[in-house]
Amino acid sequence: MRPWSLLLVLLVALPLVAGVATLPPHDAPDAPIHTQVGALYLERGVAETGMKNMVTAVLLNYRGFDTFIEVVVIFTALAAVLALPKGSAPVPKGSAPVPKGSAPVPKGSAPVGKGSSPTSPSAGAARSREDEERPEVASDVPVSPVVRFVVRLLAPFIAMFAVAMLFRGHITPGGGFQAAAVFAAIFIALGLALGQDRAARLVPVDWRPWLQGVAPLAFALVAWIGWRLTGAFLGYPIHDHTAQEAMGFVLEIGIAVGGGVILARVFLEMET
Amino acid sequence: MSDVFDVVMLTLLIATAVTVARARDLLAAVVIFSMYSLTMTLVWQHRGAPDVAMTEAAVGAGVTTVLFLITIARTTRREKP
Repeated sequence: MRPWSLLLVLLVALPLVAGVATLPPHDAPDAPIHTQVGALYLERGVAETGMKNMVTAVLLNYRGFDTFIEVVVIFTALAAVLALPKGSAPVPKGSAPVPKGSAPVPKGSAPVGKGSSPTSPSAGAARSREDEERPEVASDVPVSPVVRFVVRLLAPFIAMFAVAMLFRGHITPGGGFQAAAVFAAIFIALGLALGQDRAARLVPVDWRPWLQGVAPLAFALVAWIGWRLTGAFLGYPIHDHTAQEAMGFVLEIGIAVGGGVILARVFLEMET
Repeated sequence: MSDVFDVVMLTLLIATAVTVARARDLLAAVVIFSMYSLTMTLVWQHRGAPDVAMTEAAVGAGVTTVLFLITIARTTRREKP
C-alpha cells in the first residue's frame, strides 16, 4: 500500500504546490482579490450597507444567506450530537488490547474528568482538603486549586472581552461568531475547573431549549422583518439607518448567544 | 523581515502538522495540534485577517482541543497499531 499512498500524496501535493507557486505576491495591488468583487465591496460597501466594518458587511449583507445557512448548520450539528444515543461510546471492556504503560480505561461509569483536564499528581490530595472547605464544588473534579483560582479570576475579564468583541464588532474585528467562541470557551473552562453542575447553573433551565436555537431564530426574525420592510427576504432597509442597525444588532447577539450555547452544549453532551 | 516571519511560521506549521500525523500518543498529538492552531492564528493575523485569527484562537486552539481531550478521556490515549 505504501507506494500507492506516496503516489496519492504526490498527486494531491504537486498541484497544490504548483498552485501556490503561481499565486501573486502578498500585498500585490493587481492581485485578483483586490481587483474583482472584493474591490467592489470596498468601493460601494459603506454606501450600500451603511456598515463600517467590511467583514461584517459581507457576512451579514452581501453573504447574508450564507451566514444564515451556516448558523443552521451548527444548529444541525448540535441536533445530531444530541441525537446520538447515550452510552454508545465504545468503552473497551478488557477485550481491547491496551498497550503497556498506558492506564486502562475505567469500565462502567463514564470516566468524567479523567484526562479531560490538566491534573497534577498532587491534585487528589489537595482536592480532599479543598472539598471540606468548599462543599459546593463537585467532588469528582480533580482540578488543582491553582487552575481553579486562575479560571475563576480570569472568567469575568474574558467575559468582558467577549462582550466588547460583540458590541464593537461593527467597527473593529470581531463580532458574533468570535464572541460566541469566547463565551463557550469561558463556559467550558468554568465547567472543567468548577464542575459541570456549577457551570450549568449559569444558564437557567427554562431558557436552555430556546437558547440553543436562538441563532437561527434571530436570523429568521431579521429575515422576516426585512421581508416586511423591503419586500426581499433578509433585505435591509438601507434608508432607515436605525432599523438597519437594530437588525444587525439582533443578528450579532443571536449569533453570539446561540453559537456559544451550541458549542458549550456539545461539550456538556460529551462530558456527561 | 516579513518574509522571515512567514518562513519561520510556515516551517513551524509544517513541522507541527507532520508531528501530529506521526504521533502515536494521542494526548501529545492534541497538544501539538493546539500549537498548530496558535501558529495559524499568528499567520492569519500577519496576513491581515484578525477576524479569522480570533476564531482560530478561540475555536481551533481552545474549544476543539478540549473536545479532543474529552474524547481521549472517554476512549484511549494510545493509537492502535
